[in-house]
Amino acid sequence: MALETIIGAWVATGLTFFIFSFLYKDNPLFKLAENLYVGVSVGYTIVKTYDTVIVQLIWKPIVENGEWALLIPVAIGTLMLTRYVPKAAWLSRYAFAFIVGVGSGLAIPRTISSFILKQIEDTIRPLMMLVPGEGITFTWSLLNPASSLNTIIILIGVSSVLFYFFFSVEHTGPGKVVARTGILFLMIAFGAAFGYTVMARMSLLIGRLTDLIEFTDPSYGWPSLWLLGLTILTLVVMSRRSSSKQPKEE
Amino acid sequence: MSFAERMLKIDRRIIFLVIGFCTLLPLLYPVGLPIKISPEVRGVYDYIESLPEGSVFLLSLDFDPASKPELHPQAISLLRHAFRKNLRVIAMTLWVSGTGMADQVVTQVAREMGKESGKDYVFLGWSPGGTAVIINMGQDLYGAFPADYNGKPTKGLPVLQGIASLRDVSYAVSLGAGNPGVEAWYVFGKDKYKFELAGGCTGVMAPGLYPLLRSGQINGLIGGLRGAAEYETLIGQKGKAIAGMDAQSATHLAIIVLVIICNLFYFSLRKQATQQGHSGA
Repeated sequence: MALETIIGAWVATGLTFFIFSFLYKDNPLFKLAENLYVGVSVGYTIVKTYDTVIVQLIWKPIVENGEWALLIPVAIGTLMLTRYVPKAAWLSRYAFAFIVGVGSGLAIPRTISSFILKQIEDTIRPLMMLVPGEGITFTWSLLNPASSLNTIIILIGVSSVLFYFFFSVEHTGPGKVVARTGILFLMIAFGAAFGYTVMARMSLLIGRLTDLIEFTDPSYGWPSLWLLGLTILTLVVMSRRSSSKQPKEE
Repeated sequence: MSFAERMLKIDRRIIFLVIGFCTLLPLLYPVGLPIKISPEVRGVYDYIESLPEGSVFLLSLDFDPASKPELHPQAISLLRHAFRKNLRVIAMTLWVSGTGMADQVVTQVAREMGKESGKDYVFLGWSPGGTAVIINMGQDLYGAFPADYNGKPTKGLPVLQGIASLRDVSYAVSLGAGNPGVEAWYVFGKDKYKFELAGGCTGVMAPGLYPLLRSGQINGLIGGLRGAAEYETLIGQKGKAIAGMDAQSATHLAIIVLVIICNLFYFSLRKQATQQGHSGA
């Protein structure tokens, strides 16, 4: 096995245990791993961005291919940096105006079309279907998202939730029933979302444990076992040191 | 202090240990619980199956190592399926922090399937701009990515022959862990350039994407590790997702049991308090 793979396994295992040690209590090992994570992420992003943007998309096309038109976006981008010079900071407004203008122009119509109009179109479906030869039909399948029964459930859900957020009328009498129905639908939606969140978090734990099990292999040098022992030992030593310090302070 | 009170004030580290063991034991001793295929995952599989050889398949790996356990198995399964069907694969990422990992997974699966870079597949890497990259690709693919991840000019690559923009893509799948991801690919890609789109996402994001699935804005959805396990089952190649399903089921069961027990103790305490109130009065 390649040396870099073995080193990678040891580093990954160690950092995983350091992060998991937070479950016991906050400690310097966790802080070390946390800071390393932030540092490596930022460092990686800076290097990749420099290489892709500055070198590949700006420097090389201008110097090697003579694409001088690229200097226009470079100039607009450079205006952003004038924020650091108080006297010239007003120039950055042109760059921001350009970004906000282009961004809004691109995003607003597309977002309205995709998330509002398309979703309204899908919500307002006919409650019954007219099938040629069969006449008006009503489908009862709960498993089919397009069934008539599900269309009615969606109609009730959307109307009652919208009513729940309609505060101009006091929720009393029949209004209370509708608002309560809205809360019921919201609770079901929150429950489903939370269930998926739990599943996702457990998947992350499974991912780390799968790697830790893989790294118990002798070909890696048993990093999982050694580093688990080392992490526990460090936590015990730290715990004892902090408990022996406390009485002195008193 | 009653038993119920003591249980409700239990050290949370004991619960962490219980969850830890419930996850670890099935990973060490797998049972092999059956995996049922959902229609949304089958939608992606069926569409790829229906594509003729040489069709253009775009896979956007819009995630970073933080979402690796869920989305990495999805990427592996989709790439294996696409390569097996001899589709022309264009891989890319909209997340700068996921570039290296995306390159690794594409290269690893391509090597395993005997595919050649530039001829059978291309990894375009990352380009700045987020959603603007999608619009740029819709206008001119070569303008958005003048060179691939290895620095080779994209113009003239055999795998990109006859492809000018996103309009020439037969099927696109975005494996997204946030923004930009599946939604961005729909809003700025499919809605404008009219190609078929599916999504793969983390479990946290899945409930938010179901409305897009129901309205037909995406034709399939692979949600979390569970979705990846279903896809592995469909292509008949067991991977890390299937291996993790027993652990997932065991942990969920443990959590359900803990929630029920906690509620039982809570209601028993409330009943106790009500009775004490009555006797006091």
